[in-house]
Amino acid sequence: MSKEMINVEAERPMATDTDKSKTINSGNAVFTKTEGGFIGMELDGKKYDRVKVIRLFPFTDPDKYMSVRDVMDGDKEIGIIEDIKELPEETVKILLEQQELYYFTPVITKVISIKDEYGYAYFDVETDKGRCKFTINMGADAVSKLSDTRLLITDVDGNRFEIANVLDFTVKEQRKLDLFL
Amino acid sequence: MNKTELPLYELKVLEDEGINKNDILYVCPTDISSDGAYENGYLVLTRDRLVGITKKSESEYEIRTFVLAKYAHWTIENMVATNLLRAAKNAKDSGDDASQSKERDNLKDGEHVLIGACTNTHLEKLMELRKLIRSGAGIASQEIDPAQDKAKSNGADADSTDDDPTQEKAEGEDAGQEPDKTDKQPDGKNKSKTSVFFRGLSYFLRYKGHIALLAVCYILTAVLSIAWPYLSGSVLYDRILARDDSFLAAFGVAGKYIIAVILLVVVMLGIKVIQMLTAVLQGIVMGSVVTKSVRDMKKDVFSAIEDLSMNFYTSKQTGNLMTRVLRDADRMTEFYLDGLPYLIINSITIIVTFAVMFALNWQMSVVACILLPLLVVLSVKLRPGIWTLFGRRHRAESAVNSKVNDNLTGARVVRSFGQEDAEEERFVGPNKNLEEAEVRIVRYSNRFTLLYEMVQVISSIWVWALGVVMVLNFRSISLGVLITFVGYVDQLNGPMRFFSWIFRMWSDSINAAQRIFEIIDAIPDVVECENPIRLSDPKGKIDINNMTFGYNRTHPVLKNINLHVKPGEMLGIVGKSGAGKTTLVNLLSRLYDADEGEIFIDDVDIKKLAFADLRKNIAVVSQDTYIFMGTVAQNIAYADENASREDIIKAAKLASAHDFISRMPDGYDTVIGASGQALSGGERQRLSIARAIIANPRILILDEATASVDTATEKAIQQALELLVKGRTTLSIAHRLSTLDAADRIIVIENGRIAEEGTIDELAGKEGGIYRHLLELQNTQGKGSVIGDA
Repeated sequence: MSKEMINVEAERPMATDTDKSKTINSGNAVFTKTEGGFIGMELDGKKYDRVKVIRLFPFTDPDKYMSVRDVMDGDKEIGIIEDIKELPEETVKILLEQQELYYFTPVITKVISIKDEYGYAYFDVETDKGRCKFTINMGADAVSKLSDTRLLITDVDGNRFEIANVLDFTVKEQRKLDLFL
Repeated sequence: MNKTELPLYELKVLEDEGINKNDILYVCPTDISSDGAYENGYLVLTRDRLVGITKKSESEYEIRTFVLAKYAHWTIENMVATNLLRAAKNAKDSGDDASQSKERDNLKDGEHVLIGACTNTHLEKLMELRKLIRSGAGIASQEIDPAQDKAKSNGADADSTDDDPTQEKAEGEDAGQEPDKTDKQPDGKNKSKTSVFFRGLSYFLRYKGHIALLAVCYILTAVLSIAWPYLSGSVLYDRILARDDSFLAAFGVAGKYIIAVILLVVVMLGIKVIQMLTAVLQGIVMGSVVTKSVRDMKKDVFSAIEDLSMNFYTSKQTGNLMTRVLRDADRMTEFYLDGLPYLIINSITIIVTFAVMFALNWQMSVVACILLPLLVVLSVKLRPGIWTLFGRRHRAESAVNSKVNDNLTGARVVRSFGQEDAEEERFVGPNKNLEEAEVRIVRYSNRFTLLYEMVQVISSIWVWALGVVMVLNFRSISLGVLITFVGYVDQLNGPMRFFSWIFRMWSDSINAAQRIFEIIDAIPDVVECENPIRLSDPKGKIDINNMTFGYNRTHPVLKNINLHVKPGEMLGIVGKSGAGKTTLVNLLSRLYDADEGEIFIDDVDIKKLAFADLRKNIAVVSQDTYIFMGTVAQNIAYADENASREDIIKAAKLASAHDFISRMPDGYDTVIGASGQALSGGERQRLSIARAIIANPRILILDEATASVDTATEKAIQQALELLVKGRTTLSIAHRLSTLDAADRIIVIENGRIAEEGTIDELAGKEGGIYRHLLELQNTQGKGSVIGDA
């Protein structure tokens, strides 16, 4: 308790034995699309019938740090993919496809009209997924700012819409949006 | 400067007692006699004795001498507002100094003796005196100087010593009278209103361009408003309608009367247009200056608040503080930008209008002005009434607001106790008061406005009537002059009304400004020393020597704490709630400064350490974790903005937080805090542990870190903490003794003192010990709950 304690190096503790999840990369894992339309994985010889790959930083860094979870075992974390781009192209396609579904968030490209009545706003917009009409509750926190110009809108049903950059809209569209943002 | 000087007369008396001026080490004023009356006395410390000298009458002094060696246990007893210095008769002493303390010689050994008493005004000095006596003032006088220097450099003492010179002077001058009790305010609060005014003005004057533009606008407005009645009165009636060719010739329109009228109309139209444009410009410029200066003010206040020590937050209701500051800032701005310029404009307008009026026709001016004093009297007499009513409404309003606020925040309690109806009833009273206050205001202001306007109308009619008589009968004035006059009298109404409330506005805004400056100028109790020592290679050694501290100086929470922690050691701290455990660790990170004694980290006095180093090397995981508005990742990386995503994930994993974070739909990007997703107590706790892991401190303080999590989570966190604790000096406060299994050493704090100290085994084996008792209690409790669960 005296001498050796002084010399002990206190580094930021590294995740070791408590951390059972692994780093997953092209070297140790193979992702496959299952017959049922989901994703399966084989990691170091161990087969997982169905895994879920979720983003840890869905807004700030969607393509890095994904958590791979075992759906058959209560969504327990198996490991983390640090950068999806390091995986084979085919795998990336499978994973992104699943994530498109998981994080379905149309990006608004054009504002056609916004009307407000009794505390609700009715949006009619063009998105990258097609034209869309939705309603937001203006009293609740329907619009959250991901950055100064990037917005996430949640409608009354809990659907999400994204505005990638407010400044990309025309002045006229911005004026329509201004009332609600 | 810190030293109290004895008045000359007292010095002379002491000299008769055989005490030379140079023998005096310290003087402490005593202003209360033993029977609780004000008196004027001093305790004078020399090498070997303490002399109490009290003035009884003009030339009569009571002298009491205490030989230091004959007394022990010098103690200050704190009463509510007075402080007694007492000592106990020393048992070893044989009493050879019988001549100097005759009447006290029959004291029993150990019996308490009252040495002197003072009010809180002199408490600091009394404490210093006791410190000097205890440190053995009689042994060597040169030791005393450094002790005094320390007292000066101590931030806590600094602001209280500021006002000392004035107090001493006051007492020195009228030494025969009662000590001055009232003047305890520091200089800052007695600043004159004018200096506050100019300081407030400086916030606006920094925008020179804007202010210059505003000044131009104001002058233009004033000039144009004077020109208007002249044009519509004298020029129209007396020159154009009266066909005054000699006047018209000056403008080249002699004889062409229609053109002259058209020209006049154009000029008057022009004046109106310019006036409007000026108003618009003025509004724009004003808006920008207002917002800018309010922004500056709020910035200053906020940065001042950030620098203030914890004491400020515990002693003031910070909730209202910011709203109050913001409102004050607005009020200040209102006066400087709305009131002050108009004060100038209106003064100019009134003076110039009068000048022009008298120049035109002095008889008519006298007639016009005869009723003006009535208006002034009316407003001076009646205005104050409405302000009292406004104050009343304000109080009623805030009562209603706080009632509503109370109910909204306490909605859960109200419902769970079924108090909805009762609360509604409780709301009726304040609400009714507000209603009444409103009604009174409306009534009063109606009456006031009616009266005021009536006087104005009367004065207008009066001017008309007398003017018409003068035009008809005496031909002393022309019609144009009459119309000009009526215009001017109407125009005077505005400025007159303005002056009836500007003084109120002035005092309001000066008070607001004073409150703002008070915060900006507040001196933090805990200040970084001038040339702080940097810790380049921190080890984590902690030494606490003889430290005493109380949130209120008179009631110490921690008394004479001596504690030494080796680098890398884990120390468990156990004790009842309120024993002073959290206070101890707060002192370590210098949220407060110790009243007495020192704290060393790596053998450096923490008062000499740079704040940045001190706080970088100490991380606290406490029972009340605060989650800032922002994402989970931002909250974890609070101590180190540059932490990589990998670091953040690792820290979260170590703190058993990764799993619940990744289960949230937005993962580490989830917005939490004030408006975001709610986290449970255990989740917040784990986030704060992750925050501490990122900070990577040399000294880790766990203040009930696992108090609000379930047993399973506690196990997981325990594991995480064990990793975190490795190689760090750790102070862990815990109620659940099982949390401290890994501790190298445990201290038990009771009533502000370290009552027990030792390893777990030592303490658990100590018969009748506090720790053992607690352990037994918790063991039986644990069993009880197991049975209860089954």
